Amino acid sequence: MTSQQLTDTRIEMYLNRLQSALAGVSSGDREDILREIRAHILDSAGNSPDREGAVDRVLRLLGTPEELAGRYSTECQLTRASRSFSPWLLLRTCWGWAKLGMKGTLAFLLALFGYTLALGFTISIFLKPFMPDKIGMWIGPEGLDIGVPSHPEQMHELLGHYFVPVIAAAAFATAIGTTHALRWMMRKRTPGLAIPTTRESGLAQAS
Amino acid sequence: MAINGNGDRGQHWEAQLRKGCLEMAILASLWQSRLYGLEILRALSEKSELEVAEGTLYPILSRLKAEGLLESEWVEAEAGHPRKYYWLTSPGRRRAREMAGAWNEFAEKLTALVQPVVGGRER
Repeated sequence: MTSQQLTDTRIEMYLNRLQSALAGVSSGDREDILREIRAHILDSAGNSPDREGAVDRVLRLLGTPEELAGRYSTECQLTRASRSFSPWLLLRTCWGWAKLGMKGTLAFLLALFGYTLALGFTISIFLKPFMPDKIGMWIGPEGLDIGVPSHPEQMHELLGHYFVPVIAAAAFATAIGTTHALRWMMRKRTPGLAIPTTRESGLAQAS
Repeated sequence: MAINGNGDRGQHWEAQLRKGCLEMAILASLWQSRLYGLEILRALSEKSELEVAEGTLYPILSRLKAEGLLESEWVEAEAGHPRKYYWLTSPGRRRAREMAGAWNEFAEKLTALVQPVVGGRER
């Protein structure tokens, strides 16, 4: 195999991996991305005397196919999610964002904590009619328990008949508060901030 | 690793600053003509010394298009493969003008503030 063929094989392998990594993107968009990245690689390497070196360089600057695909879906999802009220979409987007940096990780932890708390409240409301004496807001020497008390003998219930409305309001407030905080974080994000530039990756290699 | 903590932080700050301007710079590069990805990268690097990795640029272009600020079209080229050209839509032109206006105002005020520092005058 000549070095020309080897280089061509490397380009094809890169694009194949990118195609698999873009599995979550609609097929039309995926074809468009692949065509554009292929054109970019060919253009960058086009007239270079050292074609192999030029392809090496451009593949490095593109990042691994998985990283590149991750950036595509995160860029688009963050925009879509920052306008959405769907906890599921927000949580999924934060998961992708978390892989790119600190701020995304914080957003994901907030999403996980906030929505789990809201879900816990909601479950306890549904269980209340079945276990009216057990489910409640219990207070005791070790603090507060919402749901089934850990030490019923030392604890007493605070809310009584108000349990359902109060906890429903708390679930609603927690879910809405988490959603608004996440949307705010996503809108506040500087475009491209989680993504290294050549300059920075150059520095990282030097140090 | 970092020999000088301040120098390292200075470079970090500069990198953040550049990244914050990226969206405006991309929109501004398309103000006068339609360009394809590689031309945008070259315009950014020649006119503003903004070195952007291709892996950063293309996902941002795709988002700006999804937001309706850019439009694109495939054009057959002599190179043997088509190229995807981008241009600003009217909301894109409006956004670019707003960003450039805000940038100018900000830069003017800050230039006045840092003037004595750059001039090296002591109080």
